[in-house]
Amino acid sequence: MTDPTSFSRPARPAPPAAEPQGSLVVKLAIAWSLVGIPLAWGVWQVFKKSLDLFR
Amino acid sequence: MPLLSFLDRDHSIADSHFSRWLVPPAALAIHLSIGQAYAFSVFNLPLSRAIGITQSAPSDWKLSTIGWVFSVAIVFLGVSAAVFGAWLERVGPRKAMFASAVCFGGGFQIAALGVATHRFSLLLLGYGVLGGIGLGLGYISPVSTLIKWFPDRPGMATGMAIMGFGGGAMIASPLSTMLMSHFRTPGSQGVTQTFVVMGALYFIFMMFGVFSVRVPRSGWKPEGWVPSSAQRIVISGSVTADRAITTPQFWLLWMVLCLNVTAGIGVLGQASPMIQEMFPGAISVGAAAGFVGLLSLANMIGRFFWSSLSDYVGRRAVYATFFLLGAALYATVPATGRAGNVALFVLGYVVIISMYGGGFATIPAYLRDMFGTNQVGAIHGRLLTAWSTAGVLGPVLVNYIREYEIAHGVAKADAYTMTMHIMAGLLVVGFICNWRMSPLDTRQFADDDAATVRVST
Repeated sequence: MTDPTSFSRPARPAPPAAEPQGSLVVKLAIAWSLVGIPLAWGVWQVFKKSLDLFR
Repeated sequence: MPLLSFLDRDHSIADSHFSRWLVPPAALAIHLSIGQAYAFSVFNLPLSRAIGITQSAPSDWKLSTIGWVFSVAIVFLGVSAAVFGAWLERVGPRKAMFASAVCFGGGFQIAALGVATHRFSLLLLGYGVLGGIGLGLGYISPVSTLIKWFPDRPGMATGMAIMGFGGGAMIASPLSTMLMSHFRTPGSQGVTQTFVVMGALYFIFMMFGVFSVRVPRSGWKPEGWVPSSAQRIVISGSVTADRAITTPQFWLLWMVLCLNVTAGIGVLGQASPMIQEMFPGAISVGAAAGFVGLLSLANMIGRFFWSSLSDYVGRRAVYATFFLLGAALYATVPATGRAGNVALFVLGYVVIISMYGGGFATIPAYLRDMFGTNQVGAIHGRLLTAWSTAGVLGPVLVNYIREYEIAHGVAKADAYTMTMHIMAGLLVVGFICNWRMSPLDTRQFADDDAATVRVST
């Protein structure tokens, strides 16, 4: 006979699954691209304009 | 409100798998957006021809009137950073960043309404007041979070974010021009539509920062990191913002920031006419714009370079370099102008402006060294009143001394010499203030602070 109280015992929480390294790399790549691409575009625009100074 | 509960500090605590390298992009999303403020001048001319279109009509706003929009925004940046700094520390960065996005994006929409109805009060309220509050909240909100995530490299971390403020103008300036060209019609400059689109774009971009920012768990520190006691003036505890402003160290740092910014901001505002007047006939309007662009790049790169360097050589040494090298450059650059050496002149100003940007980016880490981590955002907010002060002082010094010199018969090419020498003098005063920085005397704090303040020696 099983112990009836065993059904009401809270289940031990499962240890958190480690986030796959690949998923983190993707997140990092997306986050940095979102800010890096506009910034690189802006720097390029300024750089092009700056060339006038040396022409 | 349960709908907005995701903004609570408790809901933004990082789990054990979170990478701290996701926080700088969140901070950059905010700073790249609010950095748009430095590019507001691209709207000046179109706004001054909103009715006349091809030229200013009598009922159009004057350029001097439009100039108030930027000035009010910068004043509200300083005021809101000082007033809301303590609130930010209490509610966490996510809520403050959200408030910043609402104010900044919403400010654009109200400003658009002001342009559409040609009511200057609405333009001033939208971009100047509401947008300015968004600037202040956005400027300080990611800084203390980054310092908490990167206790091993606080200078580099805050430098990355504050670099975004310098870089924001580089994106906003060409973007604004492109949007105005797209929306321009024979009867409209396209500013209203540009404001609407930019407000929406910036709100969405800032929300990326809101959703991705996290605060570290209590007691978290980087793996394997041991706090270093190598730098003599670093404290291991924290001082409240209210206490910090009663210390001479706070006011010395206030002077340090104010003098460093005063020296740079006046030159930035006058860069284009200055190089044309110092090299008459040799520098075209296009080349002068290129010079301004180079200074913007130097401003941005300097923010990251100098603040990162400060993690290795210490904040005081970096500021000592700003003041000594800056004073030497300000004293000698006019001579390169007289000698007709454009390359040396440009190089001198590139270094000067890199140090101007570096001063902004290194100050949060300096504050953290002096007053600890807990309320660094609130203390930083109060210190930014030095920026507002310098924002008035710098341009006034450059413009009025130049006008005075010209009125007294000095040639335009030489009219900046006196100003540069005064700037050099200001930097020497800044050097003395920085030199007088010393560790906090822990005896001056009441029990609540004294328990946490220990000076590493």
